[in-house]
Amino acid sequence: MSQKHENAWGEPVPGEDEALDARDVAVLGRLGRAVEVVDPVPQGLVERSLFAMTLARLEADVMELQQIEAPAGSVRGDAPPLEARTITFTHERLTVMIALSTDDDGTHVRLDGWVAPAATLVVELRQPDGERTTTADDDGRFAFTGVDRGPTSLLVRLPDGGDVTVATPVIEL
Amino acid sequence: MSMQLPPAASSGRAVGSEAPGRGSPGFSTSPHEVRTAMTRAAEEPLGGTPDADESLGDRAARAVLEFREGRTDALSDLVREATPLLWHTVRAQGVDRDVADDVVQSTWAALVRHADTIAEPKAVLKWLLVTARRAAWETVRKGRADLRRRTELPDDVTEGAAALPDARPGPEAEVLTDERDRILWSSLRRLPARCQELLRLVSLADRPDYKAISASIGMPVGSIGATRGRCLAKLRAVLTEHGEASWT
Repeated sequence: MSQKHENAWGEPVPGEDEALDARDVAVLGRLGRAVEVVDPVPQGLVERSLFAMTLARLEADVMELQQIEAPAGSVRGDAPPLEARTITFTHERLTVMIALSTDDDGTHVRLDGWVAPAATLVVELRQPDGERTTTADDDGRFAFTGVDRGPTSLLVRLPDGGDVTVATPVIEL
Repeated sequence: MSMQLPPAASSGRAVGSEAPGRGSPGFSTSPHEVRTAMTRAAEEPLGGTPDADESLGDRAARAVLEFREGRTDALSDLVREATPLLWHTVRAQGVDRDVADDVVQSTWAALVRHADTIAEPKAVLKWLLVTARRAAWETVRKGRADLRRRTELPDDVTEGAAALPDARPGPEAEVLTDERDRILWSSLRRLPARCQELLRLVSLADRPDYKAISASIGMPVGSIGATRGRCLAKLRAVLTEHGEASWT
């Protein structure tokens, strides 16, 4: 490997074969803190991941996040404003689009959704604390009102799909 | 995201009817006793072999073995501890923050689906890092393809540049208020991309896990760990050019 290794990595650098010393440790420690400041892990990502793992045990197909339209700023834990956010998820057999808005009382969320192709499908809204179910109408429309904020995923049972369900990635309301 | 992860294994676990939440055995989102994520390298005795302590790799192996037996606490702790490593692995491939969020989630979900089929629990940490990295590439590749499809004007050739990970010092460093941090960051940015990735990741980890990290990026054995390695030696050389000789 030595020759190839040399080509891939250029000339040896003095000191590369020495043991890590206190300065190395100090540089890496400082770098680790800088990495966390420059590109912080989004707030709530751990919770969303844990919830995604819980959902994974249901063995649903996970849809693809196709498009997020939101005011400037991130839709994730970075910046909570959720007014007028619309998110599109796709799966080979189904597209789900949702629009989020603040519900009347301001602390909850209203979720309006459309499934395409339109069908009267059962839609489940899952959060770590529980789940709610509704049915899309003939136009594929459905809605959940008074939804708690937090990690959320929608599960849709496909028509004539037997037990096939598809789930959206976990999003933060 | 288009994860392109291996297909879901048909695990023997009968979980189809479980509902998350409401008392079912989901992954608790409330932290219990967790080792403070990522003990700093600085806390590690120099040259010492920290065998007394489990490495992150050891904890990852134990978490998966316990999960197979139906216990999820160790795996929940692992998610808390290792999510920063996965996050920065994905981000190093040039994936934007929203998409990276999904890639990290999906990587953890994939671990759950494959927990029963991972042959070598000792390699769980590397498996996670490699899975996250591949999934990140896949989204970058797909993003380029989408862009190509949407690009109608033949003159519009910005796609290549847009898809490359940002290699400039950029405004990101402006959040660093300490002058030495800025110097360190701009010095890091002068290294080859893979060195930058390696050093960012190991800076978040403890020394026993450097090997798994460098292996997951396809770096030669010995890139860092037992010895300083080329990337860290290069960084030190650049820092010395800046007159930053003392960092302790």
